[in-house]
Amino acid sequence: MSSGVTGAVALRWVWSNVWRLWFSAAVLVLWWVLSADSTSTFFPPLQRILERLHALWIVGDARSELWSSLGHFAVGYTVAGVVGVGVGALLWKFRRIGDAVSPVLYFVYVIPTAALLPAIVAIMGIGSAMKITIIVLAAVWPTMLNTLDGMRGVDPLKLDTAKVLHMSALRTVRTVVVPAAMPQVMAGLRHSLQVAVIMMVVSELIASQSGIGFFILEAQQRFAITEMWTGIIVLALVGSVLTVVFIAVERVVLAWYIGARAVERKG
Amino acid sequence: MSADSGRVGARWSSIAARTAVVVAVLAGWEYLSASGSLDASSFPSMTDTMAELARQLVSADLWTALWHTVRGWATGLAIGASLAVLVGTLLGLNRFAYLSVIPVVEFLKTVPVIAILPLAIVVWGATLQMKVFLVAFGVFWPLTIQVIYGVRAVDPVVRDTAVVLRLRGVRRFVGVTLPSAAPFIATGLRVAAAVGLILTIIAELIGGAKGLGLSILTTVNAGPQRLPATYALILVTGVAGVVVTSAFARLERRVLHWHESQRNLAPTGV
Amino acid sequence: MAGPDPSVAAAKRAGEPVLSVRTLAKAYDAGTSREKLAIAEVSFDVARGEFVCVVGPSGAGKTTLLRCLSGLLGPTSGEVRFEGTPLRAVPDRLSVVFQDYSRSLFPWLTVNRNVAVPLRVAGVGKQQREARIQEVLHAVRLGDVGRSYPWQLSGGMQQRVAIARALAQQPDMLLMDEPFASVDAQTRFDLEDLILEVRRELDITVVLVTHDIDEAVYLADRIVVLTGAPSRVQEIVDVPLERPRTQLGTRSSEAFGRLRRHLMELVTTSS
Repeated sequence: MSSGVTGAVALRWVWSNVWRLWFSAAVLVLWWVLSADSTSTFFPPLQRILERLHALWIVGDARSELWSSLGHFAVGYTVAGVVGVGVGALLWKFRRIGDAVSPVLYFVYVIPTAALLPAIVAIMGIGSAMKITIIVLAAVWPTMLNTLDGMRGVDPLKLDTAKVLHMSALRTVRTVVVPAAMPQVMAGLRHSLQVAVIMMVVSELIASQSGIGFFILEAQQRFAITEMWTGIIVLALVGSVLTVVFIAVERVVLAWYIGARAVERKG
Repeated sequence: MSADSGRVGARWSSIAARTAVVVAVLAGWEYLSASGSLDASSFPSMTDTMAELARQLVSADLWTALWHTVRGWATGLAIGASLAVLVGTLLGLNRFAYLSVIPVVEFLKTVPVIAILPLAIVVWGATLQMKVFLVAFGVFWPLTIQVIYGVRAVDPVVRDTAVVLRLRGVRRFVGVTLPSAAPFIATGLRVAAAVGLILTIIAELIGGAKGLGLSILTTVNAGPQRLPATYALILVTGVAGVVVTSAFARLERRVLHWHESQRNLAPTGV
Repeated sequence: MAGPDPSVAAAKRAGEPVLSVRTLAKAYDAGTSREKLAIAEVSFDVARGEFVCVVGPSGAGKTTLLRCLSGLLGPTSGEVRFEGTPLRAVPDRLSVVFQDYSRSLFPWLTVNRNVAVPLRVAGVGKQQREARIQEVLHAVRLGDVGRSYPWQLSGGMQQRVAIARALAQQPDMLLMDEPFASVDAQTRFDLEDLILEVRRELDITVVLVTHDIDEAVYLADRIVVLTGAPSRVQEIVDVPLERPRTQLGTRSSEAFGRLRRHLMELVTTSS
């Protein structure tokens, strides 16, 4: 009896969340149907794309391109994150130095990193070092600036409280400043993630012999449009999966913040 | 020390420190080149770069390239932003449409825009359309989400006020919904403008469309003796970035300021 | 503990005020053209075990005074002594409770861990720490909420957590800045009674800054009345109402009404 009731509740819950996917499904079905008899070179039938995708990426060896890309991404993004948080915190701590270097920092930040690409390739060649450098140079900024901003924005009353509780400078940073700035640090890291993925691909598009970006570009130059589409879809999925993983991590790290915000909005 | 000198002194010392850092960076660059620490074949000296920059500033090539870049960026931004405001508003006003479409939009927002570039290149080649498409596509998704959230985030008190005042239809939209969404849209636009500029440069570099990106690539390919031109062009791109960022940041501040004053008035307005 | 004969020290301490404020003045932007005098001259003493309220018209620099008393802010001239020593920083045996609990509690820590912060700072061991947390949470009449986050609790309960955290340090004196201004009227009465009980049970000195005259009369042994900004001491009023006090009984007594009226006159004429 009761299992029937909970079953009904669960079913309703599933239904209330799943029905929203109708539009997404409709888009896919529409793509499938409309492209079925497509003779256009640029838009091959979705069915053919998926068949090639299976052949190349699931049973085939195109996967190795993906691992090569993700390796560069992982190193570059990690370095960008660590340097971004570290330098951001130092700029917060040494306020006067931060103020003095701000114009130079700002200028380097607003230069579209892509513009530096040819110069970096000229200096570093086309190896892994170049790719990682480009990812770091582009992805470090959102994290750095958000860390600085977040730390500057810590509620002064929280800092007073830290003093009243006799916290040492180190403990104040660890117990008060870092957690208080964390929502913004995470926002910066999320933005850096997107930038890092883009620069990963761009570095492979401009000068490379490997990686998913290279795969797509090479397919395009051979006019193997179906293969190019498989690369685009895989890249899209990689970007989404990375974002979803990040959001999952964020939900854990910022559980308190998400909870407090929900209460605030209700009240 | 007289009365105001403390504060004014602090401001001057800040300006002095900033200037000193800029000068030190430029001087350090020059020193490293002169001492040979920076290989002249891959990194030109500061004075060579500045001289080249001065030469470029009076040549038509630079301004033509800049014009191509700005045109692609502005057109793409205008198209992407207009569509985003339109679609975002429609989705934000209708709960059913919002819940249905948001998974697709959220998914496409996470897709690296750059994935679409090779497709744009095969379809349009190295043209303005290709650039515009890439910028518009890249700007559209994140901005649409901002607009949706902005439209949905109308302050409940303001919404109730609108009901009490019997505001409906277009009037309500223009008088209540749009002003409330404006800060969200302004923030989205600021980000979109910067992203758009990056995408424009990428489209020129990889797609080969005319503009600053292509000029940079050409100078690099022309060999070491053209290297000062490369860096001069990079500096120009940086200045373009400064102009775009600060212009849209100013716009955002204005809208935000207005929003704040509006919010303070809301309760007494009932 | 090694040191002077404890009985002599105790006798000496009993005679000496816990807090002693001497010709305190505070100006912001001192030495510039924008100099603004917040406190002109304030002097008063707080004896051991006493409950003193500071009232004044709004904008009278009450919060500035509290920050000076706690050692968060240095005075422009004059002196604040806590247990005989001039204040340089926040002294160990002084705890502060701020008005806005939603800002002073750490939302990323559970109630237990919020209360544990001063104990960790003092290097109290794990077992003792846990015992002490239970003790202070019990003292503020908080039941089984240790594992919750502050924002999951009502406003009144959050302020109890803030008070518990302040008590965990085992202070000699509790300094409170409008501690009940952000809660509803009923909760406010409950918290007023709570602080009176806590003070009686733990035998601590309390200085409470408020703009609410009724609250000051209900709680205090003595009330320091400030003038409008820049603040001076307008009068120090004794409150000879008998203890224990009750919300209904005390507030409806004739003596309460007289005191209240007198204070109202002081505060309204000074602003």
